[in-house]
Amino acid sequence: MSAEPARTLVLTVPDWPAVAAAAERDLDPSTPVAVLHTGKVVAANAPARAAGITVGNNRRAVGFRCPEAQVVAWDEDVDNRHFSAGVGALESLVARFTLLAPGTLAIPLSSLRHGYADEPSAVEALISALVVETGWEFFPGIADTVFAAVLAAGQARRVEPGDTVEFLAAQPIRTLEYAGAEVNELIDVFWQLGLRTLGDLARLEAKDVNSRFGAFGRHVHDLATGTDRSALPDHVREEQLAVERVLDEPTTRSDTLGFLARQIGAELLGKVRRQGLVCTQITIELAAVAGESSNRTWRIEDMNENAIADRLRWQAEGWLAASGHGGGGNERVGDTPSRRQQDPDIVDEPAPDPEDFSADGIISLTLRAAELTTPVGATKSLFDENTGQITHTLERLQGLFGPDAVLVPGLQGGWDPAETNLWTPWQQTATPVRSPRAPWPGALHAPRPTTVEHLAVDVLAANGRPVQARPSGLETEPRTIRFPSGDTEAIADYSGSWPIESGWWDPEKARYRTRLQVVTEPGRALLLSKENGQWYITGRYR
Amino acid sequence: MDVMSAAPVVEQLSREMGISTAAALFDGIPPHPVDSVLSPMFRRGGLPRGELVTFTGGQSLSCALATIAAATKERKWCAGIGLGEPAVASIADLGVDLDHFVNLATPPEDWLRVVSILIESFDILLVDPGFLPSASERARLLAKIRERRISLISLRPMSGSTEQIEITDTQWSGTSHGHGRLRSCLVRARSQTGIHRFLLPGPTGTPAEAPSVTQAPAVTPAPVVTPVHMTADAGAPEPVPAGTSAHVPAGASAGVPAGTRTGTHLRQVIGGVG
Repeated sequence: MSAEPARTLVLTVPDWPAVAAAAERDLDPSTPVAVLHTGKVVAANAPARAAGITVGNNRRAVGFRCPEAQVVAWDEDVDNRHFSAGVGALESLVARFTLLAPGTLAIPLSSLRHGYADEPSAVEALISALVVETGWEFFPGIADTVFAAVLAAGQARRVEPGDTVEFLAAQPIRTLEYAGAEVNELIDVFWQLGLRTLGDLARLEAKDVNSRFGAFGRHVHDLATGTDRSALPDHVREEQLAVERVLDEPTTRSDTLGFLARQIGAELLGKVRRQGLVCTQITIELAAVAGESSNRTWRIEDMNENAIADRLRWQAEGWLAASGHGGGGNERVGDTPSRRQQDPDIVDEPAPDPEDFSADGIISLTLRAAELTTPVGATKSLFDENTGQITHTLERLQGLFGPDAVLVPGLQGGWDPAETNLWTPWQQTATPVRSPRAPWPGALHAPRPTTVEHLAVDVLAANGRPVQARPSGLETEPRTIRFPSGDTEAIADYSGSWPIESGWWDPEKARYRTRLQVVTEPGRALLLSKENGQWYITGRYR
Repeated sequence: MDVMSAAPVVEQLSREMGISTAAALFDGIPPHPVDSVLSPMFRRGGLPRGELVTFTGGQSLSCALATIAAATKERKWCAGIGLGEPAVASIADLGVDLDHFVNLATPPEDWLRVVSILIESFDILLVDPGFLPSASERARLLAKIRERRISLISLRPMSGSTEQIEITDTQWSGTSHGHGRLRSCLVRARSQTGIHRFLLPGPTGTPAEAPSVTQAPAVTPAPVVTPVHMTADAGAPEPVPAGTSAHVPAGASAGVPAGTRTGTHLRQVIGGVG
């Protein structure tokens, strides 16, 4: 991809979230489906649109216009899962393609040039193959840049070579929203500046845009002028970049596993290197004889086979210890270092005798390259001080105390600090369970407790009876808090109690609790929560 | 104070690592920047490097986290040891850059070992020690943090500290017997520079100025009782008139390692000469 225009074919499935939701629920194609996110319709399929449902309607408007419509909540997972399953058919048809978003994919036309006579015939062949395979409707769009092709696909048109600049100039400024959610703020600014079309934006000097809006503004300007030449990361077939080794005999010995891991790690890195890529994250999958498996993704800065072997060994030790495979916690990772200090004899014994555990050891190892980038993309930040040394130090601690002893902070969605906490082991990919972007009505406001715990306590009224909580408030005034140790502390002041009800639509997820902040006589503040008739300290202000 | 003792002390100092000029001795290494509300608590307006600082009393963890916030935003790495499970939301509220904070969930009895490893590359260590180190361990620890110019913060009193911040009173506001919620906490802290009052956390979670501008008086009242948890040789914060804070005999107690003592001695010697 050099000076030559990156002529691109974009295929998009209109109303993808609605299509995916229908596929998830096995609905008839003629059933109207509307997908709701934060109370607003984000996608509706053709029958629903025919009934008058448009994007932005609320639930009541949907029910009013089309009572038989299926209203479903938006689920990112469903979107991605169905799409990546569907486009599997494309892997046998074209050499390179990129998934831009669920429902949209891009194919560089240079990869189709050898197989097909001209652009229309190529598109026809691809679409008919995809439609037969998936049953979805695809809109094609062709233009000289990826962004223009996305816009063209929205209108199902082909922009002649060289006409892309004119095509873009005529588009309204709102179309920039296809470039990503973070552009929305800029769009408002552009609108206030009187820029109504992409052409208006393109007429501005690039250096002016750069000085006013920074690098991101410059990027948006490039999109509008059709000069964006940034190459898309190719969709890499991941099964090619995975290595599996089935063991002849199950083992729990970490030295055996480390030895094997070094071998297959070298094999995997060799494969990655031959593709001209660099692997920055790796997924290690271990399978036990009993059929259980452990799956973790590790980010390793200086990827080499020894680093992979270390991670695999830690993962195996932690997993075996936790699941009891490793012999009654005899080799619990957290215990090892202190034991080592007290009793140096134990060190030389790497693991319990393998014969005892041959029935349930690890039987197969799989390594998968989880994140691939070009060699330039893998370099470290220029500005951070001594990141390499930090990494080295923390990895040493992980080696001594187990990977879960070194934790980096992150935030996820939730009501209480215990739920919003997302402590992830160093160099592992954080996987939030609850979306931070979803609304969390009743979430605790600042000031929030500094530490989190879950300690059952008694909250007593003046007459010594436990304080009951009702949705309308506390039944009696809390006076004393009694800790499990038997100590008591007088309550000087307390906040309003507020109930939090979550997951009421699903009996398995349903939780009801009452939250209360108290200040004790010595001036300490605590966050309490009552759940299933029991009070807990869930946070301390320290 | 004996003026004759200056020569050997100077000679000893010149052999000591890390102090190359007289200016370095007096100005020292520039401290880490600290939030403007908290900076008056420190003798040099910031978190000293190469020294041990203790934060004790209620809200001391919040106070320590708020102190390190500005440094983490300057990409200084900070690690917390023995803190239990901190709430990420409050760490972020206090202004700490989450990309430069690491929490160590290691056994409490191993804290000294963990610190000795982290000293190699971290800038600030925030420790709630599971046990107090022996005199020789402490001497080695202090020598090491001075050499690596680490700021070590302890949430328990520990001898050998150069600055002690003790929170003597916390007053939460916002609740009124079944109504409202916690809004802010008025904190009264005593340090070498006097008594300070501020909100920690303030209404937004960050430290804020106390609502009524009643600044600490110039001469601090003498403490009635020394808090019981202070050990006898802990170099207990001697309240002094604010103007003379440069001469606080921080390391003048018995259990202090040689290095700090010589530094203090020289200051006293030179101060005596002048």
